[in-house]
Amino acid sequence: MSIRAELKYKIMKDYGAPAVMAFQDFKRRKPRPVPEAFGPPLETNKRLKEILSRHYFLSRYVPGVKKVAWVTSGAPVELLRAFDFYTIYPENHSALVGAKKQGADYCGIAERSGFSQDLCSYARIDLGHMLSGKTPAGKLPKPDLLFCSNNICQTVLYWYKAIAHELNIPLIHFDAPFVTTEQTEADINYMAQQLQDMIPILERVSGRVFYQNIFEDILKRSMETSKTWGAILDAMKAQPAPMTIFDAFGHLAPIVSLRGLPVAQDYYHILMEEVDARVSMGIGAISDERYRLIWDNIAIWYKVRFLATFFAERKMNFVTATYTNAWAETTGYLDVKDPWISMAKTYGQIILNNNLKHRLDLMKKMIKTYSVDGMVMHSTRSCKPYSVGQFDLRKAITADLDLPAVILDADIADERVWSEQQIHTRLEAFCETLEGSKFG
Amino acid sequence: MAEFYFAGVDVGSLSTDVSIIDDSGKVLSEIVIPTSVNGSEAAEAAFDSALKLTNLSRDGITAITATGYGRASVAFATGKTTEISCHGVGAHQLFPKTGTVIDIGGQDSKVIQIDSRGRMLDFTMNDKCAAGTGRFLEVMANRLELDLDELSSSKNIQGESAPISSTCTVFAESEVISLLAKNTPREEIVHGLQRSIVNRIWSMVTSIGIEGEVTLTGGVAHNKGLVALLEEKLGLTLNIPENPQTVGALGGAHIARRAYHISLESGTN
Amino acid sequence: MMIPDRSEYLKGLAQTGQKIMGVLPALYPRELLWAFDIHAAEIWDPPGEILHANAHLQTTICPIVKKSLEFILKDPDIINAGYLFPHTCDSLQNLGTQVKDLIGVSLPVYTFYNPKGSFNNTTIKYYRDILQNFQLTLETIYRPLDPEKLLTACELSHKIDSHLLAIHQARMTNHLSLSNEEYFKLMRAQEYLLPADYLNLLEQVDILDQPGESLKTRLMVSGILPPTSKILEFLDELGVSIVADDLLAGSRRIPKFSMDAPSSPIDYLTDRFFVLPPCSTRGGDLDERMHHISTRMKDSRAQGMLFDMVKFCEPELFDHRLLVKTLREKSIPVLTLETELEHHISGQDKTRIEAFTELLFDMVST
Repeated sequence: MSIRAELKYKIMKDYGAPAVMAFQDFKRRKPRPVPEAFGPPLETNKRLKEILSRHYFLSRYVPGVKKVAWVTSGAPVELLRAFDFYTIYPENHSALVGAKKQGADYCGIAERSGFSQDLCSYARIDLGHMLSGKTPAGKLPKPDLLFCSNNICQTVLYWYKAIAHELNIPLIHFDAPFVTTEQTEADINYMAQQLQDMIPILERVSGRVFYQNIFEDILKRSMETSKTWGAILDAMKAQPAPMTIFDAFGHLAPIVSLRGLPVAQDYYHILMEEVDARVSMGIGAISDERYRLIWDNIAIWYKVRFLATFFAERKMNFVTATYTNAWAETTGYLDVKDPWISMAKTYGQIILNNNLKHRLDLMKKMIKTYSVDGMVMHSTRSCKPYSVGQFDLRKAITADLDLPAVILDADIADERVWSEQQIHTRLEAFCETLEGSKFG
Repeated sequence: MAEFYFAGVDVGSLSTDVSIIDDSGKVLSEIVIPTSVNGSEAAEAAFDSALKLTNLSRDGITAITATGYGRASVAFATGKTTEISCHGVGAHQLFPKTGTVIDIGGQDSKVIQIDSRGRMLDFTMNDKCAAGTGRFLEVMANRLELDLDELSSSKNIQGESAPISSTCTVFAESEVISLLAKNTPREEIVHGLQRSIVNRIWSMVTSIGIEGEVTLTGGVAHNKGLVALLEEKLGLTLNIPENPQTVGALGGAHIARRAYHISLESGTN
Repeated sequence: MMIPDRSEYLKGLAQTGQKIMGVLPALYPRELLWAFDIHAAEIWDPPGEILHANAHLQTTICPIVKKSLEFILKDPDIINAGYLFPHTCDSLQNLGTQVKDLIGVSLPVYTFYNPKGSFNNTTIKYYRDILQNFQLTLETIYRPLDPEKLLTACELSHKIDSHLLAIHQARMTNHLSLSNEEYFKLMRAQEYLLPADYLNLLEQVDILDQPGESLKTRLMVSGILPPTSKILEFLDELGVSIVADDLLAGSRRIPKFSMDAPSSPIDYLTDRFFVLPPCSTRGGDLDERMHHISTRMKDSRAQGMLFDMVKFCEPELFDHRLLVKTLREKSIPVLTLETELEHHISGQDKTRIEAFTELLFDMVST
């Protein structure tokens, strides 16, 4: 670790980043006008942009100061934080590329190098980024380590293996057995042991020693942050809901990618405060909330604005989603007194690693507690664990709860997978059913 | 002195093409007719028309290679070879420095890598979806109520282009419909379609790599706008044969000639 | 060599009262099932059009998953002991819970987790645990396990493996006079024959003392399933011989080398899992897989590689890119076909295959 690099990083962190952020803020003085259908935007949005830009900005000065790890969204990152890795979340980065409608470009790079178009678009975008060095985030540091867990999908294992091979760097894989009925003792012990096996490797790659107390502090912070996130989502039970789920898709970024760090912990306190205040003042995310909806699956990043406006104009608000809930659902298992076992339970049972009966029950519960009137399911080409089974989930939910539902065939980040005509027709038909069912 | 003549018969999904050469490789006649329902009838008719342009009879042709997707239905052929090998050899005959052949045919498009003698080193073909083929243009022309020639003559590569990002024919058609619904000028849509095909071809080319000069074959080579876009995308000038549709047939004729000479040398004839 | 027809054979078997479990791809401790007198009938690409499964699965799901579901939805008589879903990929993982928890079938649904990634002592210990858990599951439904029966099952499995290894070797060195179609029919018979019947069949296979007539064109094939019988037939017609394979339904399920005869069943089963060749579905190291494939190509003197990829199969498609790249760098010709397990061969695929043989032939003749 060079002293110069470290000094530069410190200066950038304390002075450079705030200056750049202030400048960007100045450039962005004139805010985009908010369409009438929406309520006043969240103040915290500004803070969100700031911390995310700062994270990507600072990452340029990290090489030589901290070791960089690329991590999957469901991986137990707390362990890495104990070794002070600077973490980059390729899924988060791919979503960013998707939101900028540049997904097809990056996918194209991967496809031309031989990756099939039928593979996950998060993976293709990331591999396209890796092969070309291109990114809308300025510049991302090369990883020293890859850390993935198949608790969200087996795809990440293949994707990270491909990166590990290309860059010739170590890959740590956390194998999370799928929960078909419930976790067995063998599953839990296997996962707990894997975590402990990782310590010497992490010590070697990071050049740092593992301290149990540092790790426990991180774990505590992570637990607390997830709880706050859960409470923010809970606040959306209020009518009108203080946020839309499309806001939450954005505000999800810190809990995914900065979990375990003070910045994320502080951030959610600020958001919580604002959300609480809105609830007590009866301020809704859309100006006239008549229908409340649930979203299933990852966002369609290149159409978030379109969908948000489409529904808001029809007085419909998404108040909950299986996706945003995933980072709050299982953190209750975390326990600093028994870190390894509790992490095995937390990370082993997240929604995508759990059976469809669990998902069905959870969705039904969410529909009831959030007073939901209708359901929109995004069937995504990219994600098999999220999408295989949706047809039958829909059938079960509509039958049991008499809830109108629609399935949209699209993709998380490859904007080529979008059939404007078809989606419009489906959405409009869904809205007609919904309007008919509530007041007809 | 005995004269030898050779023919290639390329029965494609949209057209059937015949090329007749003499023993020195000189082209005596070339013909292109639409493939109707029956490939074997089209082959007979095209072959007879090509013969008429020379003063040869069927018996005067020493060897005939059938190629194209209907190659098995050419009863009078003495051998059959895939259109992939034939396009390689044909392009090599016309442009000897060719290292890469791009053939945009009716049903499929392919990129072929050949060595300095015209032999195939590697090839790739489009996947099942027809986007990036002649058929795709035809479907889209129908949707735009243009005929293929009108679509081909549009060569304004600087103009606005409507975004058509889908890589699948069905999705692309739906995109075209919504563009039409938004009153997007047809010129822009055509331009967008050409871009979408060019991107598709470009992907295939990059996946296999460019070696030497690049020759474009197949009927789509007549589409000036598309050629210009493809040249811009690849950053090079393409060799365009005078008759891009008969390159496969020409290659077939040369393969017939080569096979005949090899068989003479080895004494099996 | 007479190989019984799959559905006839299973029908006959079911009529005798034999317990038959439908097993999805790909890796599972078959010996444990045998020890409980349960026959494992594997479901990879059952015949028939996909109709009802389309109401349950999106268009972008792989045909193996769809065809399997179509088969299960028919509630076939030949399956009477339940279904087993080994953990192979994301889609099969979800299909297992979809069938069990949402669609519902009259028979019990079992799952078996196969550990993923690079293996070490922690993985080995876990694999032993899940074997034992699976045994316990079966015991609660049937009866306590008879250790003698498990040992016998392991011995039978060991004998089958030894024969298969010898046959593979013979195929690679041209000591087997079987067409492509016959060869793969023989390989795939293990998916439905009782182990004793399969062993009996293997014992009849004629391994030649001298290499057979020299082969015109030699190919290795990689993918999940062997090419469809129409493609195999076509290759036979063209004089192309498949001399080695890297197929999940083929050599990836046979230990890399011959193992010692079993003495302790659980040890044996654990060892066996860890000496299987590298496979995409287990998520192992890419270099190791490439090395394994190169060795097989060299040993079999294969001139080219045919990748027969099942549409939408993520595990295979990810690895495919590197395998192709590496082979191309070594100037080994590669052809990739994409299959949806259709029963015909498209004109396009015929052209691809023929052009590929022209390419190989040119390379040989110049």
